[in-house]
Amino acid sequence: MQSANVLLKKIVRSSVLPFAAQHGMKKDLFPLSRTLSLSLCLKEDNSCNPSEKLDLDAWKKVMKSGLQEEVSETVSERKELSALAAARELLEMWRLAGRSVPENISDEQLKTFLECPSKSAKKKYLRYLHLKELYKKNDKRKMDEKRERRLESQEQASKTDENKRNSFVCLWANCMDRAYSWRVAQSMIFGQPLIFDMSYEKDMSVREVANTVRQIVLSEGCNRRSVDPFHIHFCNFKDDSLYHKEFIKHYREAWGKLLITVTDQCYTDVFPKDKLIYLTADSPKVMKTFDHDKIYIVGSMVDRSIKPGVSLARAKRLGLETAALPLEKYLLWNTGAKNLTLDQMMQILLTLKDTGDWKAALEFVPKRKYYGFVSKPVHQLQKTLNLINTLKLGKRQEEVQKQFAKSYSKKLTQK
Amino acid sequence: NIQPPEKPLQAEEWNRLRESFQSPAVFEEVMFNSMIRCNSPIDVAKSLLTHVAKNNGDIGYNLLVKYLALCVQQGQTSEIHDVYEIMKTKFKILESGAYNLIIRGLSNSDQWKMALTLLEEVKKIMIPSRTNYECCIKAAGRHQEMNLAFELYREMLTKDLVPTLDVLQAFFDFSRGMKGAELQKELFGILLYLRNNQIYPHKMFMRSIKLWFESIPGGNWRGQLTNIKDSGQCPVCNHQLEDSDLTEEEYDNLRERIIRDVIHGTDTFRKTSPQEFEAFQTFVENRLPFDIVIDGLNVSHIKPRKMQCENLFDAVNCLAKDNARLLVLGRKHMLINSSNWKREIMKEMQNKADFFFAENISEDDAFLLYATLRSGKHCKFVTRDFLRDHKACLSDSLTRHLFRKWQRGHQIEFSPSVEGKRINFLPAFRYDCVVQTTGDTWHIPYKDTFEEKYSYRVPRKWLCIQQK
Repeated sequence: MQSANVLLKKIVRSSVLPFAAQHGMKKDLFPLSRTLSLSLCLKEDNSCNPSEKLDLDAWKKVMKSGLQEEVSETVSERKELSALAAARELLEMWRLAGRSVPENISDEQLKTFLECPSKSAKKKYLRYLHLKELYKKNDKRKMDEKRERRLESQEQASKTDENKRNSFVCLWANCMDRAYSWRVAQSMIFGQPLIFDMSYEKDMSVREVANTVRQIVLSEGCNRRSVDPFHIHFCNFKDDSLYHKEFIKHYREAWGKLLITVTDQCYTDVFPKDKLIYLTADSPKVMKTFDHDKIYIVGSMVDRSIKPGVSLARAKRLGLETAALPLEKYLLWNTGAKNLTLDQMMQILLTLKDTGDWKAALEFVPKRKYYGFVSKPVHQLQKTLNLINTLKLGKRQEEVQKQFAKSYSKKLTQK
Repeated sequence: NIQPPEKPLQAEEWNRLRESFQSPAVFEEVMFNSMIRCNSPIDVAKSLLTHVAKNNGDIGYNLLVKYLALCVQQGQTSEIHDVYEIMKTKFKILESGAYNLIIRGLSNSDQWKMALTLLEEVKKIMIPSRTNYECCIKAAGRHQEMNLAFELYREMLTKDLVPTLDVLQAFFDFSRGMKGAELQKELFGILLYLRNNQIYPHKMFMRSIKLWFESIPGGNWRGQLTNIKDSGQCPVCNHQLEDSDLTEEEYDNLRERIIRDVIHGTDTFRKTSPQEFEAFQTFVENRLPFDIVIDGLNVSHIKPRKMQCENLFDAVNCLAKDNARLLVLGRKHMLINSSNWKREIMKEMQNKADFFFAENISEDDAFLLYATLRSGKHCKFVTRDFLRDHKACLSDSLTRHLFRKWQRGHQIEFSPSVEGKRINFLPAFRYDCVVQTTGDTWHIPYKDTFEEKYSYRVPRKWLCIQQK
């Protein structure tokens, strides 16, 4: 029933209003033409007496007719259902009932579904598959539309014939690729290393690992296209790990040709310890400037269920220096966790490396997470904070605000 | 919003309505939903179904389920029956939504036994929900089949389903005035279930329990509502309530689990470091036992206007009566002379109590728990923290219950009047707030409201039942 209710809410929101008018609730709110047509309908309603000749149970006859033959089959079949087939049938019924369930599901996904530990886990997994299916369908539809449009425009173009002449042969993509590769190769010899610590596999679910790899692939793309790329290292990388499998899914043959260093060694074995800085949002130390001589480490982890201190623990164990981005110093934080995605980290680090400008770098923090940049001097900031707090808390708690503003400014001056 | 018609409509009238609707594809669904909401007469729904059946030659599963919901809502047993028959012939299996509705509908009718067969059917394809069981149990109870009801109840527990308070209450309501030692034993079992899971009944439930006790033929039970004194004595029967001390074995168990799950967890480095924890352990061993362990940083924030070290100083002075041995846990930054932490005051405090300073990035709460548990049963601890995050680290519910029990009896909290000059403390509870019995008395704490908002807040009101 719950799903039905949700559905109901969704539909009710978009449903037309005239039906309310039928019972005279909001009649005067509607444009005249509407009410007129409805009142016509109402009149007819009253004129004929419908219940007289209506056979209310007629639907039962319809439903029961033509079913007799099938019954015998279903009974014998019922016993032979294996667990998978039974689950498939249950899903089909849920789909008929209007729950968010995927239309097509593979045996592998069905197995994962059966292995979910609880009902809510099952529901979540189905919803995830359902949404994935929807997105895929939409994408496909858009692709098809695009292709049609392209074909049309090509037809038109062929009619108008080639008028344009260009001095360059159209090989942009290829050329750019070569230029990028050259730069990255350069950086592999002379560039500043950047380490992705690939030792968090056991802290993550399969889906989180997939997300992580996706983010790293994006980061690698950003790095490749930048003016002065990092020399990317994957440390603690085990062959045949989940990470590895996911990477191959993304890169296919290109995995062997990537211009990055992949090693199963720990970064402490590859680089001198005093040069390493572990970047983690839990770090008590805040990064002031980007140091071109240091080697920064980013933990390759997505933690959907928040696990505080995991990467800090790793740095503590190895006795490494840690640092956090100065988010609070430059941004008036709104909501959300301070941990950023790996590709955002990469963008920020690349910008810092090129310009050293925190403001430009922190543009890559998602906008929903902060109100704005802290650009004014501290005493002005205090004023705005006071204002925000009076609005939030009312006048009585002025004391609290003062305290808050004081501690906030103290924090700012400390950093 | 769309209003369903008040009378059954003819096909062409439905057609007209449908055409004037914004998105005709979902018209029937929306119409049914609003019928359910407005509790329309089922003849109206039937006329719509007939219309759909005649148009399409078939009715979708979701519409049947919605119609079923309407029938259940109005207790139309024969219709529920018919719909179920149709569904059964048309589909190989049904899904949980339809089963829930049918079971609910039938369990409230004189065909309630049918609900039981349906429950069996559900078991073949999935684990029934707790409301499925609830419906069947209530139906059995309503027809005085207590054995059957208890059988279902036990079956539900073996499937790790948590019974609703409603079901438990129903057992007491249905057994009122009934005889039988076996029955009495089962109901006592429910009370022990409340005890073991530290569940507090709400007022209505408490009343059902009281009425049941008083209705036992020849039982001579009398129940009275009361408040327990701070000393832990019941003013009605003068019985002393049990304390929240753990047994030796439970104590060791809890300590081991705190070390394993809370302090070490998946990685010792997350909350402390092995060296630091070892240093702390030797520190504690050398100075055992303590009487009170204080979370220094937590206490230092009681009064925001005062200097932090003054707050701590006041608290230490207040607790240092009667030669109590104090341990204050803090972090290293407290030792650095600053506007909030004056070196002289810190020095003076260190004469009155033992201090342990953890690293600034370590968690001191875990140390607090360890030191208190290591000192023994008499040792209490002081913090305003409810320690919920630490309780959550414990992996099984049994240990979590032990932890809560221990926490109730050993945590010293601040008295709520923080306005005054001095810092005052509420002593830890002398008695355990949990359902308890001595055989001829029962003491049952209860909540005033149904909603249990805070898991850490224990009720102050009790039901005292004694046998005359």
